[in-house]
Amino acid sequence: MSFQVLDPTNERAVPLGQLAPRPGSLQGKTVGIISNGKEGTKGFFAHLDRVLRQEFGVGDVAIRVKSNYSAPADAYIVSEIANWDAIVTGIGD
Amino acid sequence: MHLISKNHAAEDIFAVQELYHSNGWTDGLPIVPPTQQAVEACLEWAMLPPDQLIGIEPVRAQAVTAEKLAINAVMAGCLPMHFPVVVTAFTAMLDEKFLLHGATASTGGCAVFVVLNGPIRLELGASGGFNALGNSDRATAVIGRALRLALINILDVRPGEIDRSTLGHPGKFTYCVAEDEEDSPWLALAQQRGMPPGVSAVTVMAAGAPRQIMNEWTTEPREILETFAAEMRANLRHYSLHAGNYALIIPKQLREHLAGWSKTEIAALIHERARIPRREWADVGKAAVVRDRGDSIYPALASPEHLLIVAAGGPAGGFGAVIPPWLGPKSQAVTMAIGACVDCEPPKG
Repeated sequence: MSFQVLDPTNERAVPLGQLAPRPGSLQGKTVGIISNGKEGTKGFFAHLDRVLRQEFGVGDVAIRVKSNYSAPADAYIVSEIANWDAIVTGIGD
Repeated sequence: MHLISKNHAAEDIFAVQELYHSNGWTDGLPIVPPTQQAVEACLEWAMLPPDQLIGIEPVRAQAVTAEKLAINAVMAGCLPMHFPVVVTAFTAMLDEKFLLHGATASTGGCAVFVVLNGPIRLELGASGGFNALGNSDRATAVIGRALRLALINILDVRPGEIDRSTLGHPGKFTYCVAEDEEDSPWLALAQQRGMPPGVSAVTVMAAGAPRQIMNEWTTEPREILETFAAEMRANLRHYSLHAGNYALIIPKQLREHLAGWSKTEIAALIHERARIPRREWADVGKAAVVRDRGDSIYPALASPEHLLIVAAGGPAGGFGAVIPPWLGPKSQAVTMAIGACVDCEPPKG
């Protein structure tokens, strides 16, 4: 007995966002970091802050911490992104 | 009825299984082939057009339609009469308070715990008796499974994709219980949470695995409740200090000893007893984060209303369970009526 069966997945793909143009250099630039706020991110992002300033000549690093690490970034953080030349985000424990 | 999902051909039942397994469309168990006829029967029973929008998962902007939900319900083994419960439970999961994306993506590995209340339990043969948290009956088994398959297939909640659980737990196959209302001295959970009497409803909660307790050595209500409170304190020590929704599953043998107490009175006592000072974390290997807050008190419940008390379990045995929250207050339990809109404005004119 043959079957015709239906696709259970959400076939409507979400359009992906476009990556912003890559900066040629980080010298003097402002880099934003969005942390999920978990304990392990504190040392990691503090180290990244030092590396960005000392090794890549970044002018300013703005570290922002989400109020809920399981939810999207707070609106006030998202509104700041336009002021940054580059951004680092991700998940971590 | 016009369905828009892609059709796949399979030469026999075994080919159907391999098609779905190889595409990552199952939970690892065999599925019922979601044919057009079976899916349409679910939609007709619930009186939903295929393109009815059940909701949108806001973080990834994923729409959930009745057609896709019905396909996954059929795969899980649902009959048409089960489908309205699946629709309502998934709608409740999409309530902003539930924080569905976080709850399904978290390393914490929770599952969606579902409590059924009201007349629909009897219509579906859902049992809150023997083996209530296990394979008690067909209805609760397939309803809970339908929610998981829908998460996997509609919202990509597959292990290693959206689902980043470190461990997960067996409730991620199915995690649904019907309250034993007929054999309970208490208000049903849904009524306790604001539903009118006689209305069928589901309550969903992002939940860890059940923590079983046993106390057959007393008939004193406070001693019985102290055992539940102690298990909640253990969860505060070993898992998370954050207050959230907890569920207590209380079987008949313990209910009989607690019959003079209302759910409200039980919740008040549990709220008072289920709390620890932060310094206790030093006793269980977590001294590093006690810092200067050792004397701070952490209650398991922010208020007594956050306790979900469910009468369920076989007729003999002093075994109960504490079902802990996924992550404190970040996800809140949601109760929703099935096939009725309790808070809606009446039609004008």
